[in-house]
Amino acid sequence: MTSAKISARGLSVYYGEKQALFDVDLDIPEHRVTALIGPSGCGKSTFIRCINRMNDVIESCRVEGKIAIDGEDLYAPYVDVVALRARVGMVFQKPNPFPKSVYENVAYGPRIHGLAESRAALDEIVIRSLERAGLWGEVKDRLHDPGTSLSGGQQQRLCIARAIAVSPEVILMDEPCSALDPIATARIEELIAELRESFTIAIVTHSMQQAARVSQSTAFFHLGRVIEFGETAQIFTDPRDTKTRDYITGRFG
Amino acid sequence: MTRPVDPALTVLRDQLLRMGSLAEAILEKSLQSLFQRDLALSNEVKLDDLELDRLDIAIDDQVLRILATQAPVADDLRNVIAGKMIAADLERIGDLARNIAKSAERLATRPSIETPPRLRTLADEAQRILRRALDAFAQSDPARAALVLDDDDQVDADEDAVIRNAIEEIASRPEFTAQEVDFILIAKNLERVADHATNIAEDVILATQARNVKHAAKLGK
Repeated sequence: MTSAKISARGLSVYYGEKQALFDVDLDIPEHRVTALIGPSGCGKSTFIRCINRMNDVIESCRVEGKIAIDGEDLYAPYVDVVALRARVGMVFQKPNPFPKSVYENVAYGPRIHGLAESRAALDEIVIRSLERAGLWGEVKDRLHDPGTSLSGGQQQRLCIARAIAVSPEVILMDEPCSALDPIATARIEELIAELRESFTIAIVTHSMQQAARVSQSTAFFHLGRVIEFGETAQIFTDPRDTKTRDYITGRFG
Repeated sequence: MTRPVDPALTVLRDQLLRMGSLAEAILEKSLQSLFQRDLALSNEVKLDDLELDRLDIAIDDQVLRILATQAPVADDLRNVIAGKMIAADLERIGDLARNIAKSAERLATRPSIETPPRLRTLADEAQRILRRALDAFAQSDPARAALVLDDDDQVDADEDAVIRNAIEEIASRPEFTAQEVDFILIAKNLERVADHATNIAEDVILATQARNVKHAAKLGK
């Protein structure tokens, strides 16, 4: 297996008195797609929100243990959370383009992070990001239309373009296709396969088939713990743990 | 809790159990037709083999349906795949039994000569191996299946002995060449039955333990 991009050791997360993650040890390999599966409330979304520190916005949330990218502890006092959220992009279940034009949706991040020295350089970033997200052909004549005027599938690809415009290392996806039709879903999955050449991708999904299709590694969460982690093909043909087998075969969940 | 895939898996399993019983029955009939020179039985074998073929096709359909509509994984997936492979082996056993019945027909129309004793031994062994493999499948028992895997050697030895003996007999009594040739064919068909039964045992191990033990001797495992 490739080396670990993201490492969690003894990671525990609390929302007030309620513990959501228990002592999680997990390595997310780089330049791979890792699927996080498990029943509702098992902690998989809580886990990925630790990676870009989105849990910070929840007042009652407390994180213990360690989570690191390239060995650097994300919760160390010197960590610039804003810069972290450029390194770690996120795509959500419901496409959430900014209430801005298509162009501005993608340009906003690079602009505020100072990634473009000129308007031409910014244009270049926007075009490249839209191309990589497989959207350029559909929006090149509509760059000044509102992002919200696009179809659901296009909006989601716009959100992906927005995420990759700031040259992240990691892209987190929280059920990115659950609001999309099968054709839009297939396009996003194709895109995920292309993007993993350049990024490390972690995807939370409720669809067993999607996890099996798009990922090379799979982590199964249950009641706040990682029960099993391994090669996706192995997990879906011969899972080691009975709980994993019961979940993926629909015996519970 | 009944999952949507469970009724379909039950249908598949029932089809395989029926196919297994039928394969055993066909083999028994073909051997009886041989040892008792009973032409009526050998005719029945041909009809029974058609039923096996029909079941094989029904199982093809069932497997495709399950894969397409249920997207099974883990042990469910292995059971479906193994089920398809087992059906293919049972269908071949039916064909082999029909071949034995054809030899039996030819032998019944020719002057009778003594059946080589080792041919009877070989027949008993082939039937026993098939029975054990089908029991292992019915019980989903990998330990029983593993015992089947070692039985091959004796079958091979008996097949060799029958062939050697037939060759000697052809040399010393050429007027019985046709019968001896049929004994050779029957021996080869019985060896193939045992081989397919061993495949079934290997498939049980794949389904239950996710271990692929095929071609172990050749691959030096």
